[in-house]
Amino acid sequence: MSRENKKPITIVTGCLGSGKTTLLQNILKAPELSESTGVIVNEFGKVGLDHHLLRKADEKTILLSGGCICCNSREDLEQELKSLLYMDEKDHKQKLNRVIIETTGLADPAPILFTIATNPILQHHFYIDCVITTVDAENGLLQIKNSPELIKQVTVADKIVLTKTDIAKAGQLNELKNRLKEFNPSAEFIEVIHGNANPKIIEGNTSTDYLDHIKNVNKPIVSDNNSNIQSISFTFSNPLNWTAFGLWLSMLLHANGENVLRVKGLLDVGEKGPIVLNGVQHIIHPPDHLKEWPDEERLSHLIFILRSIEPDAVSTSLKTFQRFLGTEAELLEVNSSL
Amino acid sequence: MCVLCGEFIMQVHWTDQTSDDSDTVRVGEKQRDRQRTRIERVNLCNQIFNHYGLKLEDWQGSKYILRDRKGTSKVVHDLGSLWATAENMLKRPIDPLDPQLLEKLSTVS
Repeated sequence: MSRENKKPITIVTGCLGSGKTTLLQNILKAPELSESTGVIVNEFGKVGLDHHLLRKADEKTILLSGGCICCNSREDLEQELKSLLYMDEKDHKQKLNRVIIETTGLADPAPILFTIATNPILQHHFYIDCVITTVDAENGLLQIKNSPELIKQVTVADKIVLTKTDIAKAGQLNELKNRLKEFNPSAEFIEVIHGNANPKIIEGNTSTDYLDHIKNVNKPIVSDNNSNIQSISFTFSNPLNWTAFGLWLSMLLHANGENVLRVKGLLDVGEKGPIVLNGVQHIIHPPDHLKEWPDEERLSHLIFILRSIEPDAVSTSLKTFQRFLGTEAELLEVNSSL
Repeated sequence: MCVLCGEFIMQVHWTDQTSDDSDTVRVGEKQRDRQRTRIERVNLCNQIFNHYGLKLEDWQGSKYILRDRKGTSKVVHDLGSLWATAENMLKRPIDPLDPQLLEKLSTVS
Protein backbone atom coordinates (compact mmCIF):
# COMPACT_ATOMS: atom_id res chain seq x y z
CA MET A 1 0.00 0.00 0.00
CA SER A 2 1.90 2.99 -1.19
CA ARG A 3 1.30 6.49 0.00
CA GLU A 4 1.46 7.90 -3.50
CA ASN A 5 -2.24 8.32 -4.11
CA LYS A 6 -3.20 9.14 -0.57
CA LYS A 7 -3.70 12.54 0.95
CA PRO A 8 -1.71 13.45 4.03
CA ILE A 9 -3.48 14.42 7.24
CA THR A 10 -1.94 16.62 9.92
CA ILE A 11 -3.46 16.49 13.38
CA VAL A 12 -3.05 19.54 15.58
CA THR A 13 -3.76 18.95 19.22
CA GLY A 14 -2.97 20.64 22.51
CA CYS A 15 -4.56 22.10 25.64
CA LEU A 16 -7.27 24.71 25.56
CA GLY A 17 -5.64 28.09 24.90
CA SER A 18 -2.27 26.64 24.00
CA GLY A 19 -2.27 28.29 20.58
CA LYS A 20 -3.54 25.67 18.15
CA THR A 21 -5.76 28.06 16.25
CA THR A 22 -3.25 30.92 16.28
CA LEU A 23 -0.68 28.56 14.79
CA LEU A 24 -3.08 27.37 12.10
CA GLN A 25 -4.19 30.90 11.33
CA ASN A 26 -0.63 31.84 10.43
CA ILE A 27 0.23 28.66 8.63
CA LEU A 28 -2.89 28.80 6.46
CA LYS A 29 -1.90 32.24 5.19
CA ALA A 30 0.83 30.61 3.12
CA PRO A 31 -0.32 30.62 -0.53
CA GLU A 32 0.68 27.00 -1.12
CA LEU A 33 -1.64 25.90 1.68
CA SER A 34 -4.52 28.34 1.61
CA GLU A 35 -6.08 27.00 -1.58
CA SER A 36 -5.78 23.30 -1.25
CA THR A 37 -5.93 22.43 2.44
CA GLY A 38 -9.08 21.20 4.09
CA VAL A 39 -9.44 22.08 7.75
CA ILE A 40 -11.68 20.24 10.21
CA VAL A 41 -12.20 21.83 13.61
CA ASN A 42 -14.10 20.50 16.58
CA GLU A 43 -14.94 23.83 18.11
CA PHE A 44 -14.97 27.46 17.09
CA GLY A 45 -12.79 29.14 19.64
CA LYS A 46 -12.33 32.80 20.47
CA VAL A 47 -9.72 33.06 17.76
CA GLY A 48 -11.58 32.26 14.57
CA LEU A 49 -10.13 30.63 11.52
CA ASP A 50 -10.81 32.37 8.26
CA HIS A 51 -10.52 29.65 5.72
CA HIS A 52 -12.76 28.69 2.86
CA LEU A 53 -12.34 24.96 3.25
CA LEU A 54 -13.24 25.01 6.91
CA ARG A 55 -15.52 22.37 8.33
CA LYS A 56 -16.85 21.85 11.78
CA ALA A 57 -17.34 18.44 13.26
CA ASP A 58 -19.10 17.82 16.54
CA GLU A 59 -17.12 15.26 18.40
CA LYS A 60 -19.06 12.03 18.14
CA THR A 61 -17.33 8.94 19.33
CA ILE A 62 -18.73 5.55 18.56
CA LEU A 63 -17.88 3.13 21.28
CA LEU A 64 -16.88 -0.14 19.74
CA SER A 65 -16.88 -3.35 21.65
CA GLY A 66 -13.53 -4.10 23.19
CA GLY A 67 -13.48 -1.37 25.73
CA CYS A 68 -10.14 0.15 24.81
CA ILE A 69 -10.26 3.91 24.47
CA CYS A 70 -7.93 4.03 21.49
CA CYS A 71 -10.07 1.64 19.48
CA ASN A 72 -13.07 3.94 19.18
CA SER A 73 -14.24 5.35 15.93
CA ARG A 74 -14.91 9.03 15.44
CA GLU A 75 -18.01 9.11 13.29
CA ASP A 76 -17.99 12.89 12.91
CA LEU A 77 -14.52 12.85 11.38
CA GLU A 78 -15.41 10.00 9.10
CA GLN A 79 -18.29 12.02 7.68
CA GLU A 80 -16.31 15.21 7.24
CA LEU A 81 -13.36 13.46 5.65
CA LYS A 82 -15.66 11.64 3.27
CA SER A 83 -17.38 14.85 2.26
CA LEU A 84 -14.01 16.53 1.64
CA LEU A 85 -13.04 13.56 -0.48
CA TYR A 86 -16.31 13.75 -2.40
CA MET A 87 -15.76 17.44 -3.03
CA ASP A 88 -12.24 16.76 -4.28
CA GLU A 89 -13.37 14.09 -6.72
CA LYS A 90 -16.43 15.89 -7.95
CA ASP A 91 -14.96 19.30 -8.55
CA HIS A 92 -11.60 19.16 -10.28
CA LYS A 93 -10.95 22.85 -9.85
CA GLN A 94 -10.99 22.49 -6.12
CA LYS A 95 -7.85 20.55 -5.33
CA LEU A 96 -7.45 18.96 -1.97
CA ASN A 97 -3.82 18.23 -1.15
CA ARG A 98 -3.89 17.96 2.60
CA VAL A 99 -6.30 17.91 5.52
CA ILE A 100 -5.60 19.50 8.89
CA ILE A 101 -7.65 18.31 11.85
CA GLU A 102 -7.70 20.59 14.85
CA THR A 103 -8.91 18.73 17.90
CA THR A 104 -10.48 20.10 21.04
CA GLY A 105 -8.21 20.72 24.00
CA LEU A 106 -9.53 17.65 25.75
CA ALA A 107 -9.47 15.24 22.83
CA ASP A 108 -7.52 12.04 22.84
CA PRO A 109 -5.82 11.79 19.43
CA ALA A 110 -5.76 7.96 19.42
CA PRO A 111 -9.36 7.47 18.21
CA ILE A 112 -8.64 9.85 15.31
CA LEU A 113 -5.69 7.72 14.25
CA PHE A 114 -7.82 4.60 14.70
CA THR A 115 -10.63 5.99 12.54
CA ILE A 116 -8.34 6.89 9.66
CA ALA A 117 -6.29 3.71 9.85
CA THR A 118 -9.20 1.27 9.99
CA ASN A 119 -12.10 2.84 8.12
CA PRO A 120 -12.60 0.84 4.91
CA ILE A 121 -12.80 3.98 2.75
CA LEU A 122 -10.60 6.44 4.60
CA GLN A 123 -7.61 4.11 4.94
CA HIS A 124 -7.22 4.03 1.15
CA HIS A 125 -7.48 7.78 0.67
CA PHE A 126 -5.71 9.30 3.63
CA TYR A 127 -2.69 8.68 5.81
CA ILE A 128 -1.55 10.37 9.01
CA ASP A 129 1.46 12.44 8.06
CA CYS A 130 2.18 14.24 11.27
CA VAL A 131 0.78 14.86 14.74
CA ILE A 132 1.57 18.27 16.21
CA THR A 133 0.96 19.07 19.87
CA THR A 134 1.05 22.67 21.02
CA VAL A 135 2.21 23.33 24.57
CA ASP A 136 1.91 26.68 26.28
CA ALA A 137 5.42 27.52 27.51
CA GLU A 138 4.14 29.59 30.41
CA ASN A 139 1.40 27.34 31.73
CA GLY A 140 2.69 24.04 30.38
CA LEU A 141 4.16 22.76 33.63
CA LEU A 142 0.91 23.42 35.44
CA GLN A 143 -1.14 21.80 32.69
CA ILE A 144 1.01 18.66 32.77
CA LYS A 145 0.19 18.33 36.45
CA ASN A 146 -3.51 18.98 36.06
CA SER A 147 -4.56 17.49 32.78
CA PRO A 148 -3.84 13.88 31.92
CA GLU A 149 -5.12 14.59 28.39
CA LEU A 150 -2.05 16.70 27.69
CA ILE A 151 0.30 13.87 28.62
CA LYS A 152 -1.48 11.61 26.16
CA GLN A 153 -1.32 14.30 23.48
CA VAL A 154 2.40 14.76 24.07
CA THR A 155 3.21 11.05 23.84
CA VAL A 156 1.38 10.77 20.52
CA ALA A 157 3.08 13.85 19.01
CA ASP A 158 5.67 13.76 16.24
CA LYS A 159 6.37 17.44 16.76
CA ILE A 160 5.87 19.52 19.87
CA VAL A 161 5.32 23.22 19.27
CA LEU A 162 6.14 25.38 22.27
CA THR A 163 4.04 28.51 22.08
CA LYS A 164 4.21 31.81 23.96
CA THR A 165 7.94 31.36 24.50
CA ASP A 166 8.33 35.15 24.61
CA ILE A 167 6.46 35.47 27.90
CA ALA A 168 7.93 32.42 29.60
CA LYS A 169 11.04 32.68 31.74
CA ALA A 170 14.14 30.94 30.40
CA GLY A 171 14.39 28.51 33.30
CA GLN A 172 10.75 27.65 32.99
CA LEU A 173 11.15 26.81 29.32
CA ASN A 174 14.04 24.43 29.93
CA GLU A 175 12.26 22.71 32.77
CA LEU A 176 9.20 22.25 30.58
CA LYS A 177 11.27 20.83 27.75
CA ASN A 178 12.88 18.32 30.08
CA ARG A 179 9.52 17.25 31.39
CA LEU A 180 8.14 16.83 27.88
CA LYS A 181 11.18 14.78 26.88
CA GLU A 182 10.40 12.39 29.70
CA PHE A 183 7.05 11.69 28.09
CA ASN A 184 8.22 11.65 24.51
CA PRO A 185 11.98 11.49 23.97
CA SER A 186 11.77 11.24 20.21
CA ALA A 187 9.64 14.28 19.36
CA GLU A 188 10.97 17.31 17.54
CA PHE A 189 10.72 20.58 19.47
CA ILE A 190 9.82 23.83 17.74
CA GLU A 191 9.53 27.19 19.50
CA VAL A 192 6.95 29.57 18.13
CA ILE A 193 5.98 33.12 19.06
CA HIS A 194 2.52 34.46 18.05
CA GLY A 195 2.01 31.50 15.77
CA ASN A 196 4.79 32.59 13.43
CA ALA A 197 5.96 29.24 12.20
CA ASN A 198 7.28 27.89 8.96
CA PRO A 199 4.28 26.37 7.12
CA LYS A 200 6.47 23.35 6.45
CA ILE A 201 6.05 22.19 10.05
CA ILE A 202 2.71 20.62 9.22
CA GLU A 203 4.50 18.18 6.95
CA GLY A 204 5.82 14.97 8.42
CA ASN A 205 9.52 14.39 8.79
CA THR A 206 11.45 12.76 6.01
CA SER A 207 13.20 9.53 6.78
CA THR A 208 16.53 11.30 7.34
CA ASP A 209 15.08 13.65 9.95
CA TYR A 210 13.22 10.79 11.46
CA LEU A 211 16.41 8.84 11.89
CA ASP A 212 18.15 11.81 13.44
CA HIS A 213 15.41 12.25 16.00
CA ILE A 214 15.42 8.63 16.95
CA LYS A 215 19.19 8.49 17.13
CA ASN A 216 19.40 11.58 19.25
CA VAL A 217 17.41 10.06 22.03
CA ASN A 218 19.97 10.26 24.74
CA LYS A 219 19.68 8.35 27.91
CA PRO A 220 16.13 9.12 28.97
CA ILE A 221 15.97 11.55 31.83
CA VAL A 222 15.32 10.02 35.21
CA SER A 223 11.80 11.04 36.03
CA ASP A 224 10.73 12.00 39.50
CA ASN A 225 7.10 12.32 38.55
CA ASN A 226 4.39 9.97 39.61
CA SER A 227 2.71 9.86 36.23
CA ASN A 228 4.15 6.34 35.76
CA ILE A 229 5.09 7.03 32.16
CA GLN A 230 8.49 5.70 31.24
CA SER A 231 10.40 5.07 28.09
CA ILE A 232 12.94 2.59 26.86
CA SER A 233 15.07 2.56 23.75
CA PHE A 234 16.94 -0.28 22.07
CA THR A 235 19.75 -0.26 19.54
CA PHE A 236 20.55 -3.36 17.51
CA SER A 237 23.58 -3.92 15.31
CA ASN A 238 22.45 -6.97 13.30
CA PRO A 239 19.38 -7.16 11.13
CA LEU A 240 16.25 -8.13 13.04
CA ASN A 241 14.04 -10.96 11.92
CA TRP A 242 10.92 -9.09 10.84
CA THR A 243 8.62 -12.11 11.08
CA ALA A 244 9.71 -12.89 14.63
CA PHE A 245 9.65 -9.25 15.63
CA GLY A 246 6.16 -8.77 14.19
CA LEU A 247 5.01 -11.81 16.08
CA TRP A 248 6.35 -10.49 19.36
CA LEU A 249 5.12 -6.94 18.87
CA SER A 250 1.63 -7.97 17.79
CA MET A 251 1.46 -10.21 20.85
CA LEU A 252 2.69 -7.42 23.12
CA LEU A 253 0.20 -4.95 21.70
CA HIS A 254 -2.63 -7.43 21.92
CA ALA A 255 -2.01 -7.96 25.63
CA ASN A 256 -0.76 -4.53 26.66
CA GLY A 257 -1.69 -2.17 23.85
CA GLU A 258 -3.49 0.27 26.09
CA ASN A 259 -0.34 0.87 28.08
CA VAL A 260 2.12 0.97 25.21
CA LEU A 261 1.50 4.61 24.45
CA ARG A 262 3.96 4.81 21.61
CA VAL A 263 6.27 2.64 19.53
CA LYS A 264 8.71 4.22 17.18
CA GLY A 265 11.48 2.58 15.30
CA LEU A 266 13.78 2.40 12.37
CA LEU A 267 14.56 -1.25 11.84
CA ASP A 268 17.12 -3.06 9.73
CA VAL A 269 15.44 -6.29 8.63
CA GLY A 270 18.00 -7.30 6.05
CA GLU A 271 16.21 -5.59 3.15
CA LYS A 272 17.76 -2.87 1.02
CA GLY A 273 16.29 -0.15 3.19
CA PRO A 274 15.03 0.06 6.75
CA ILE A 275 11.45 -0.21 7.95
CA VAL A 276 9.95 2.82 9.65
CA LEU A 277 7.67 1.67 12.43
CA ASN A 278 5.22 4.01 14.12
CA GLY A 279 2.49 3.01 16.48
CA VAL A 280 0.11 4.46 19.03
CA GLN A 281 -1.46 1.99 21.47
CA HIS A 282 -3.20 -0.74 19.45
CA ILE A 283 -2.79 1.14 16.20
CA ILE A 284 0.29 0.54 14.09
CA HIS A 285 0.63 2.72 11.02
CA PRO A 286 1.36 0.72 7.88
CA PRO A 287 5.12 0.18 8.22
CA ASP A 288 7.01 2.16 5.65
CA HIS A 289 9.65 0.14 3.84
CA LEU A 290 12.28 2.62 2.68
CA LYS A 291 14.19 2.06 -0.57
CA GLU A 292 17.57 2.86 0.92
CA TRP A 293 19.28 3.90 4.12
CA PRO A 294 19.51 7.63 4.75
CA ASP A 295 23.15 7.32 5.80
CA GLU A 296 25.98 4.84 6.13
CA GLU A 297 25.24 3.63 9.60
CA ARG A 298 22.90 0.65 9.61
CA LEU A 299 21.66 0.33 13.16
CA SER A 300 18.15 -0.50 14.25
CA HIS A 301 16.62 1.83 16.79
CA LEU A 302 13.46 1.14 18.70
CA ILE A 303 11.68 3.28 21.30
CA PHE A 304 8.75 2.43 23.56
CA ILE A 305 6.82 4.91 25.70
CA LEU A 306 5.08 2.92 28.38
CA ARG A 307 2.45 3.58 31.01
CA SER A 308 2.38 1.41 34.13
CA ILE A 309 4.73 -1.12 32.57
CA GLU A 310 8.28 -1.48 33.79
CA PRO A 311 10.67 -0.85 30.87
CA ASP A 312 12.76 -3.74 32.14
CA ALA A 313 9.88 -6.14 31.60
CA VAL A 314 9.70 -5.19 27.91
CA SER A 315 13.43 -5.50 27.54
CA THR A 316 13.52 -8.94 29.20
CA SER A 317 10.59 -10.10 27.12
CA LEU A 318 12.13 -8.99 23.83
CA LYS A 319 15.46 -10.60 24.67
CA THR A 320 13.91 -13.86 25.85
CA PHE A 321 11.68 -14.18 22.80
CA GLN A 322 14.53 -13.47 20.45
CA ARG A 323 16.75 -16.04 22.10
CA PHE A 324 13.92 -18.55 22.20
CA LEU A 325 13.01 -18.10 18.56
CA GLY A 326 16.65 -18.19 17.55
CA THR A 327 16.48 -14.77 15.96
CA GLU A 328 18.72 -12.89 18.32
CA ALA A 329 20.19 -9.67 17.00
CA GLU A 330 23.10 -8.18 18.86
CA LEU A 331 21.76 -5.65 21.32
CA LEU A 332 24.11 -2.68 21.52
CA GLU A 333 22.40 -0.42 23.96
CA VAL A 334 19.34 -0.34 26.15
CA ASN A 335 18.32 2.89 27.78
CA SER A 336 15.49 2.99 30.17
CA SER A 337 14.24 5.74 32.38
CA LEU A 338 14.48 3.74 35.54
CA MET B 1 -13.18 -10.68 -0.22
CA CYS B 2 -11.94 -14.16 0.38
CA VAL B 3 -13.44 -16.25 -2.45
CA LEU B 4 -13.25 -19.45 -0.45
CA CYS B 5 -15.06 -18.54 2.73
CA GLY B 6 -16.84 -15.34 1.79
CA GLU B 7 -15.12 -13.37 4.51
CA PHE B 8 -14.81 -9.68 3.84
CA ILE B 9 -11.25 -8.57 4.49
CA MET B 10 -11.18 -4.91 5.33
CA GLN B 11 -7.74 -4.63 6.74
CA VAL B 12 -4.29 -5.81 5.80
CA HIS B 13 -2.55 -6.46 9.09
CA TRP B 14 0.64 -4.47 9.46
CA THR B 15 2.76 -7.60 9.68
CA ASP B 16 1.53 -8.67 6.24
CA GLN B 17 2.58 -5.52 4.47
CA THR B 18 5.65 -5.86 2.33
CA SER B 19 8.10 -3.48 0.77
CA ASP B 20 6.65 -4.12 -2.64
CA ASP B 21 4.48 -1.14 -3.39
CA SER B 22 3.87 -1.70 -7.08
CA ASP B 23 0.22 -1.38 -8.04
CA THR B 24 -0.05 -4.46 -10.21
CA VAL B 25 0.88 -7.97 -9.24
CA ARG B 26 1.12 -10.74 -11.78
CA VAL B 27 -0.42 -14.07 -10.85
CA GLY B 28 2.10 -16.24 -9.05
CA GLU B 29 4.61 -13.47 -8.66
CA LYS B 30 6.51 -13.51 -5.36
CA GLN B 31 4.45 -16.48 -4.22
CA ARG B 32 7.56 -18.25 -3.00
CA ASP B 33 8.62 -15.36 -0.77
CA ARG B 34 5.14 -15.03 0.59
CA GLN B 35 4.81 -18.72 1.28
CA ARG B 36 8.25 -18.84 2.88
CA THR B 37 7.31 -16.02 5.24
CA ARG B 38 4.06 -17.75 6.15
CA ILE B 39 5.77 -21.04 6.90
CA GLU B 40 8.40 -19.28 8.97
CA ARG B 41 5.68 -17.44 10.89
CA VAL B 42 3.81 -20.68 11.57
CA ASN B 43 7.01 -22.36 12.80
CA LEU B 44 7.85 -19.47 15.12
CA CYS B 45 4.26 -19.31 16.41
CA ASN B 46 4.26 -23.02 17.14
CA GLN B 47 7.36 -22.68 19.27
CA ILE B 48 5.42 -20.26 21.45
CA PHE B 49 2.11 -22.15 21.27
CA ASN B 50 3.85 -25.33 22.34
CA HIS B 51 3.68 -23.94 25.87
CA TYR B 52 -0.05 -23.52 25.64
CA GLY B 53 -0.88 -26.82 24.01
CA LEU B 54 -1.96 -25.14 20.79
CA LYS B 55 -0.90 -25.72 17.22
CA LEU B 56 -1.07 -23.44 14.22
CA GLU B 57 -1.18 -24.59 10.60
CA ASP B 58 -1.00 -22.75 7.36
CA TRP B 59 -4.05 -23.48 5.25
CA GLN B 60 -3.64 -23.19 1.49
CA GLY B 61 -1.52 -20.09 1.87
CA SER B 62 -4.58 -18.02 2.65
CA LYS B 63 -5.68 -18.77 6.22
CA TYR B 64 -4.28 -20.27 9.36
CA ILE B 65 -5.94 -22.98 11.42
CA LEU B 66 -5.43 -22.95 15.15
CA ARG B 67 -6.06 -26.23 16.98
CA ASP B 68 -5.92 -27.31 20.57
CA ARG B 69 -5.35 -30.84 21.88
CA LYS B 70 -9.02 -31.45 22.48
CA GLY B 71 -9.75 -31.17 18.80
CA THR B 72 -11.19 -27.69 18.71
CA SER B 73 -10.10 -25.75 15.66
CA LYS B 74 -10.58 -22.17 14.55
CA VAL B 75 -9.80 -20.39 11.31
CA VAL B 76 -7.61 -17.34 11.78
CA HIS B 77 -6.95 -14.73 9.15
CA ASP B 78 -3.90 -12.87 10.44
CA LEU B 79 -1.81 -12.03 13.49
CA GLY B 80 -4.32 -9.35 14.44
CA SER B 81 -6.93 -11.94 15.33
CA LEU B 82 -4.60 -14.83 16.18
CA TRP B 83 -3.89 -13.85 19.77
CA ALA B 84 -7.51 -13.09 20.57
CA THR B 85 -8.62 -16.43 19.13
CA ALA B 86 -5.91 -18.27 21.07
CA GLU B 87 -6.99 -16.57 24.31
CA ASN B 88 -10.57 -17.57 23.61
CA MET B 89 -9.58 -21.20 23.20
CA LEU B 90 -7.38 -21.15 26.30
CA LYS B 91 -9.77 -19.08 28.39
CA ARG B 92 -6.82 -17.20 29.80
CA PRO B 93 -4.71 -14.30 28.60
CA ILE B 94 -1.49 -14.60 26.64
CA ASP B 95 0.96 -11.94 27.74
CA PRO B 96 4.53 -11.80 26.45
CA LEU B 97 5.50 -9.90 29.61
CA ASP B 98 4.31 -12.76 31.83
CA PRO B 99 7.36 -13.71 33.96
CA GLN B 100 6.26 -17.36 34.12
CA LEU B 101 6.08 -17.66 30.35
CA LEU B 102 9.45 -15.95 29.97
CA GLU B 103 11.01 -18.29 32.50
CA LYS B 104 9.66 -21.29 30.63
CA LEU B 105 10.95 -19.98 27.32
CA SER B 106 14.41 -19.28 28.66
CA THR B 107 14.79 -22.72 30.25
CA VAL B 108 13.91 -24.48 27.00
CA SER B 109 16.54 -22.72 24.99
